[in-house]
Amino acid sequence: MASIHLQNLEKRYGAFVGVQNMSLEIADEEFLVLLGPSGCGKTTTMRMIAGLEVPTDGKIVIGGEEVNEVDARDRDVAMVFQGYALYPNMSIYENIRFPLRMRKIPASEHDARIRQAADMVELGAFLDRKPGALSGGQRQRAALARAVVRQPQVFLMDEPLSNLDAKLRQSMRVQIKHMQRQLKVTTVYVTHDQIEAMTLADRIVIMNKGAIQQVGTPDQIYSDPANTFVAGFIGSPPMNLIEGTAQNGRFTAPGVSAPCLDHVRGKVTLGVRPEDCQVGGDNVQGMVYGVEPTGDTTYLTVRAGEKMIEVKAARDYRSDIDQPVGITFDPAHLYFFGEDGQRIRGAA
Amino acid sequence: MSHPVFMWAAARPCRSDRMRTDAPSVLVEGVAKAAPKPAPRRRSPALRRAFPYLLLAPALAYLLVITLYPGLFAIYQSLFVVKFLNWTWAGFDNYTTILQDREFWAALANTALIGAISLALQTGIALAIAYFAYRDPLIRGWRIVYLMPMLFMPSAVAFIWKLAFNDGRVISDLLGRLGLIEGNVDWLGSIWLSRMTLIVADVWQWTPFLFIIFVAALQGQDQEIEEAARLDGASWPKIFWNISLPMMRPVIVVAVTLRGIDITTMFTNVFVMTQGTPGGATETMSYFIYRQGFRMFNFGYASAASVLMLILTVIIAQTVVKRAFHSGKT
Repeated sequence: MASIHLQNLEKRYGAFVGVQNMSLEIADEEFLVLLGPSGCGKTTTMRMIAGLEVPTDGKIVIGGEEVNEVDARDRDVAMVFQGYALYPNMSIYENIRFPLRMRKIPASEHDARIRQAADMVELGAFLDRKPGALSGGQRQRAALARAVVRQPQVFLMDEPLSNLDAKLRQSMRVQIKHMQRQLKVTTVYVTHDQIEAMTLADRIVIMNKGAIQQVGTPDQIYSDPANTFVAGFIGSPPMNLIEGTAQNGRFTAPGVSAPCLDHVRGKVTLGVRPEDCQVGGDNVQGMVYGVEPTGDTTYLTVRAGEKMIEVKAARDYRSDIDQPVGITFDPAHLYFFGEDGQRIRGAA
Repeated sequence: MSHPVFMWAAARPCRSDRMRTDAPSVLVEGVAKAAPKPAPRRRSPALRRAFPYLLLAPALAYLLVITLYPGLFAIYQSLFVVKFLNWTWAGFDNYTTILQDREFWAALANTALIGAISLALQTGIALAIAYFAYRDPLIRGWRIVYLMPMLFMPSAVAFIWKLAFNDGRVISDLLGRLGLIEGNVDWLGSIWLSRMTLIVADVWQWTPFLFIIFVAALQGQDQEIEEAARLDGASWPKIFWNISLPMMRPVIVVAVTLRGIDITTMFTNVFVMTQGTPGGATETMSYFIYRQGFRMFNFGYASAASVLMLILTVIIAQTVVKRAFHSGKT
């Protein structure tokens, strides 16, 4: 159990900056998710915490101790890899036992701990199989058991669910969260899947191009995005971002008109989530471009000028294409972003 | 032995091939001048059907002339007592005599002994160098340097070592200057020293072959697995012993088997360096067969020994590979 501090962490590959000037405090027992598109530096950050990459600059502190100079194998962190990284020549039992053997834990304890870890991920019946004889989900659970068995200070998980199918992913997600709460081990989890991030995290760190965009609880990230990148990255379908101009408390764009605060002026971007839009009204005057019923809800795409606007409509909403349609925005949930993409907040 | 024949046979199809490709190109040019659009070229159906076989013919001819024919000829010849053109049917007499021939058993033992030590040494050394070298990105660029000994002509290598050990006394001189020995060592005077010279020469020339295969196997390993082991607390030697080595097992088996088959036919070094001295202590199977055939002109006898050797090699190689792959699966 340990907290993690990253101080001005930086990783450069020649002229390319992988991670730039990153500072972050991860509390003890916290479940922190690093979220971002591929190449944003999230995996590099995690690998630096693990000791598999050497930072170009900055400090990593785990449990109050600076670990920059500590070898990966002495950091007492366990990692679950995207490709599982099970040892193909060993049975699942031997795979789970390997960290115990390497850390010189008395052999008399091995069996009990291995079985406990295997039971936790419901793998007790497969201990004598080789990894090659298991399904993807079973291999993933074996990898989890191997990480759990030695009770490390920190768990690192690098997109552990991305090789699984959607259904399995959902059940594994719950299992991982349950296990983390049960074991109370500080966990850093890397993913590009915003659903995984929202459901698992105590706090989410959104990264882009090597830099932190926003840190916050899933609720904060969802309802209070700091910039257009975060706004467009979180939510499914993502927030509508409409570029236009604002003056005298009114935002306008082709086919769009909405109230805004007086201090919002000039070229701005309006952000509104599909779930904060309603069919009917006159904030948007456009044409129906497409209707997508998904069963529990219906997504409507409206063309206003050149812009496509996504709306979460009533479950039974139906319409032909190219019909005129009006949209109302929920005035309490409108977000404005300046030309630099940063959020323009309340009274100034 | 049959090299002149092979070169002649291989050269002929080449020459006729060139003639064939030259002729149409002249024709096409002629057509192009006469009409702007040359008519599509048509081959007769018979030629089209024969074409694949024509392409295969040189390789097939090579196999037949160099491998199959001599092999079958040796089996046939082994059933005769051959005194040049005078062949007398002997049935399996050659085989029964050989199995009672102490020189044959000695040669077999020598081959097994020298081969086993040499193979064990080169495998060990190659694995050790591969272990230290495979994480180094420079290795890729420098592979050719490691391969150099393998690229030399075998007889040249044999002469280098003959000079170093025996005629030129380079090694004795070096050891003397280091103060390890005094005077010259008579490398051919002792059973074990002369065997050792053969082993050193073979190890020097063929360790690179195994090294390059082992490095490739190590570099081809999933890096995540190594990293996982690292985070599980394993040191580099432990990762190598517990994970890399077991994963390399099939590659090691195949490489060592190939090398083993090659070693059983060790001839050049024996022929150049020791000629079987002292007292037959370095006489390998190949040299025994050569001596029976081309020094004593017992062609039938030599053929029978070759056939026995072939059978033995196939059986051993088959068992090793089969066992290694079978137990690797479960």
